[in-house]
Amino acid sequence: MLERPVTNKTCLAVEKLTKRFGAVYALNDVSFDVTAGHIHALIGPNGAGKTTFFNLVTGALPADDGRIVFEGEEISDRRPFRRTLKGIARTFQNIRLFPHLSALETVMIGEHCRSYGSIWQALTSAVLHKPFNEAREERRMRENALELLEFFGLAGKHHTKASDLPYGDQRRLEMARALATQPRLLLLDEPAAGMNPHETVELDELIIRLRDRGITIILVEHDMRLVMDISDRITVLNFGTKIADGAPDDIQKNPTVIEAYLGEDVPL
Amino acid sequence: MLGGWIDNYTQSVLIFTGINIIAAYSFFAPFKTGQVSLGQAGFMAVGAYASAVLTQKFGFPFIVSLPVAGLFAGIVGVMVGFPALRIRGVYLLLLTLGFAEIVQVIVLSWDYVGGAQGYRNIPFNPNTLGYVAVVIIALIVFFGRLERASLGRAMDSIHQDETAAEAMGIDVVRIKLFAFGAGAVIAGIAGGLYAHQATYIDSTTFNVMLAVEILTYVVVGGGSTYWGPLAGATVLTLLPEFLRTLREWLELVPVAWTDFFPMNRIYDFLYGFLDFENAKRLIVYGLILILMMIVRPDGLVTRDSLMRLHFLRWTARHA
Repeated sequence: MLERPVTNKTCLAVEKLTKRFGAVYALNDVSFDVTAGHIHALIGPNGAGKTTFFNLVTGALPADDGRIVFEGEEISDRRPFRRTLKGIARTFQNIRLFPHLSALETVMIGEHCRSYGSIWQALTSAVLHKPFNEAREERRMRENALELLEFFGLAGKHHTKASDLPYGDQRRLEMARALATQPRLLLLDEPAAGMNPHETVELDELIIRLRDRGITIILVEHDMRLVMDISDRITVLNFGTKIADGAPDDIQKNPTVIEAYLGEDVPL
Repeated sequence: MLGGWIDNYTQSVLIFTGINIIAAYSFFAPFKTGQVSLGQAGFMAVGAYASAVLTQKFGFPFIVSLPVAGLFAGIVGVMVGFPALRIRGVYLLLLTLGFAEIVQVIVLSWDYVGGAQGYRNIPFNPNTLGYVAVVIIALIVFFGRLERASLGRAMDSIHQDETAAEAMGIDVVRIKLFAFGAGAVIAGIAGGLYAHQATYIDSTTFNVMLAVEILTYVVVGGGSTYWGPLAGATVLTLLPEFLRTLREWLELVPVAWTDFFPMNRIYDFLYGFLDFENAKRLIVYGLILILMMIVRPDGLVTRDSLMRLHFLRWTARHA
């Protein structure tokens, strides 16, 4: 296993991030830094703005106000696919796989943006390569994809249609697809949702292995055991506002956090 | 070229089947990225009129005017494609429909291209069948390669989940625009081929019904693989020919079998029904469409069925 890189470099910094839906503030003036190489958990009751935060960072939604800085470069105005090219990848809370593509093809979609710089490159490679002879790039992509599928425990399922996979496999396939884009920051939106306890334990190890590969991870998760076990740092949101930010031990003792979770059946 | 060994009637049936296949592929290209266009007839009109003007008024040979007409339709396609990028589903349908209507009104009121009288005396191209064959082969090779390449997969992923595709680093805007433009080029070529075969076109030649027929070809044939448009356009265009043959067979039924009630009524109805005219063809199309939606909503040829067919060979080669 790789030695875990110890740095104090900031991977992602958000400053005064704000998003309104009508009169409702989904995120209000949220600022925090994510240190490179950390597993940074983002927790909070339902509707606290966690998924909105992901959508703003990946560009799926435009922010109303504030700045998003990734590795020292402001990316607030960039289109989603440009941010992926910069090195930010995500998974979705409600799984969004391509239902008719096989597991292998799904992962190869993630690799597309690294293999072909522009549509013209992709087009000429598609149309002009030698007849009945597979392009070298395609073979390389498939080998990479098979490796990734194996890493995520999906070996042997590469020809199964994404929609035919069991739920836990679909979650892992989403992670494999995100990883295929070669991210340096990975946003995981409730990766343990719908997984059984055994699968969740495996997920622990998986996420730690990803971090040990040098990938910074932001984790939105309701499974507090998972969050407290593996996080290096935790940010707590409530009603779109940051109410706490610190190490797992501090968060567990924080009175504001406990108050925010009162009435919810979540053991801290 | 081939006129020596097939009669004129067969040749013309083959040519119009071929043009329909090309038109079906023009619908298939944007459809591969999830864009449903009812404007393909409009792009055909652009290509047809462009090629007619180039050959008749400027004296270009057909071999030059055809690709130029396709390119011109493609430029128009990209211009329509830009606003079409932001909208989806039924709204895109309406936008493309609106475009086709605009084209119709322009050619109807523009005297330079014949206006309401239509465009007459377009130079006849005796080799259309050869051109059609070459274009279809090129399209099959193109879409076949696309389907096996990363770009084709990227297009499929956009069709299935645009947000997820964009999040995976795929330049959704550019790929959709490319697909729309490619569809327009193909439609323009289909239009150009049509113009020089029919030698007369007017504003009603490329109407909404044609756009719906093109859509039907792909829906019936199947939009998930590149064999679908070929299968759909072939089956539906040749259907009247099949039914006409059926009618000839019906005449062979002995009179004694059908000389009593209710057989005589059924016989008369069938005999009349199989007399294929335009209006009845559309009724049959409608019935086929409804039937397909019920029994085989993904079309005649689907990606899954092809995958099952190729599965063993595929795994042997790639596992």
